[in-house]
Amino acid sequence: MSTGAAGLRRAMGLRTAVSTSTGLAFAALQYLAAAGLVAYVAGDSAWISIGVAGVLALLAWGFFGELNGMFPTAAAIRRYMSGAMDDRVALSITFTYLSTIVLVVAADAFIVSAALTHVLHVPGWLTSVWTLALLSIAVLSNLRGVRAAGWLQDVATTVVLAATLVVSVVALTRSGTGLHTPLQPLHHHSGAGFLESIALGIFLYSAFEWVTTNAEEVRDPKHIHRAMLIAVGILFVVCATMTTAMSHVLTHAQLGTPYPQLALGGRAFGTVGVWFMAAVTAVTALNTFNGGFITASRFVYATAREGSLPPILARLNDRAVPWVPVIGLGVVSFVVSVVVEVVGGSGWQVLVAVGAALEALIYAVAAFCVLRLRGRVPDHHRPFRVPLVRVVAIGGLVIFSVLAVVASVSVGNRFDPVPLIIILVMGAASALYTVRVVPGLQAAEAARRAARPTRRRPPRAPDGDATPPSPGVVS
Amino acid sequence: MATAEEIAEAYADWQERCNANTRLARMLRGWERTVHLVATDTGEGFTIAVSASVLSDLRSGLVDQPDLVVSATSEDFADLFWGDLNPSEKYLSGEIVLAGSSEDVMRLDAMSMVAFLDQ
Repeated sequence: MSTGAAGLRRAMGLRTAVSTSTGLAFAALQYLAAAGLVAYVAGDSAWISIGVAGVLALLAWGFFGELNGMFPTAAAIRRYMSGAMDDRVALSITFTYLSTIVLVVAADAFIVSAALTHVLHVPGWLTSVWTLALLSIAVLSNLRGVRAAGWLQDVATTVVLAATLVVSVVALTRSGTGLHTPLQPLHHHSGAGFLESIALGIFLYSAFEWVTTNAEEVRDPKHIHRAMLIAVGILFVVCATMTTAMSHVLTHAQLGTPYPQLALGGRAFGTVGVWFMAAVTAVTALNTFNGGFITASRFVYATAREGSLPPILARLNDRAVPWVPVIGLGVVSFVVSVVVEVVGGSGWQVLVAVGAALEALIYAVAAFCVLRLRGRVPDHHRPFRVPLVRVVAIGGLVIFSVLAVVASVSVGNRFDPVPLIIILVMGAASALYTVRVVPGLQAAEAARRAARPTRRRPPRAPDGDATPPSPGVVS
Repeated sequence: MATAEEIAEAYADWQERCNANTRLARMLRGWERTVHLVATDTGEGFTIAVSASVLSDLRSGLVDQPDLVVSATSEDFADLFWGDLNPSEKYLSGEIVLAGSSEDVMRLDAMSMVAFLDQ
């Protein structure tokens, strides 16, 4: 009887699903992650790490494909995690995972601002001013209920990816020299470094799975599954080409800046290329801010409505926007981006490492959920099933767990536990909140409901028949 | 299981609350939508239209092309319109299933919240 999303007046097609998946993954932070990856492997063969990471992303695609097929809803993460594990653990992991959105938004705001400062040749302190301006625009747009239309998202993503690809290819061809070691990832580098580069490579695909939150608005449920697969392919081509170009034409000093893509643009088209890539970087922020703010604020809103976060986070403004989470996300992102700027040097590399570790962690959790739900609800409808689930899911769980650990103790090409400490602190704070605060919130919510006047619904007749009919249904 | 008449009665109460709420009228400004309600247990369908910040009467059957489709048991629909259940909780548990854009879903949830919580 249900008309479903297929019959909706405004349903999302495959193209927009692909651009959403790809656009969410391809943030400005990706340029820095790609440049950082080059430090671990032998220059031109960085593409091999990205390829291996892509294969692992396909594993994650399988896990999210099965889970999204079981729960085709924006609340899927809550559904499958609470179905596979204790709800308090699920909430703690979800809150920690949500923090990656804050990190990515903060990092993008910083990167775009740093790029702007660089191309305008203005004092460095203005970077914070640009960041404040960018985040203010993002917050105000969200508060007014403005969101990028599907077609605008399609155009923005296509422009960013095509521009990055063209600039990379032109920079490579204009370098005038052939690739040195395209098939030797261990040339002058260790096996551990190669492993670290794969962990970082995972980050280049991170967030492609966020498109699952659009499951309720796609024309065909299979679009989500297909879109994620296509997105992984596109991301591999663009990121592998870009990384190879960066490693081939940029100096170590250029790779260590917060705007290596500008130098790449310069190597391809001179000054025009620098400005061009600055503009492209700004466009990436459109997708990040649009997707990041909406995803995070709506999730916080729904969790507050459920009673697991303070009720103030469910307050809506006159445009039905949860204004407290939106402002909170803007403020926290600004603080994080200022800290990154003040720390300088490896500040943004720490963000990349934290993001890479958290992404690998959530992929491991997805593998666990697939395995656990196969045992707990074997008869649940699964439009897509991971083949050889025991081998694949256990393998995925182990691989992604190892990569999460590796990514969390490495910044640049050296051992550094700071990302691990940050993740542990965030995880501990989430767990503490879930164990100590959430029960109180839920009890207060239950008490509030119990204190409400009697049900407005008229009592039923003893035999269970309906109460006398009233104002009728218009036929 | 709630009958169509029970759902209509509950909806009439909800409709009155919503249309009398000035804050909700501001929230719904410019939001012109057709919403289909599908009772999963009885198989009945209903249609609501929102236009000029006003909720229409409940129509029997699935009329026009929808912007949003809400599927739930008839009992949940009746409870929802009486304000006796939290739709977000039911949604997160999978008992209420939606098809539509996240923006439209937010507006619908806002209607149920503002109408009853006087936020």
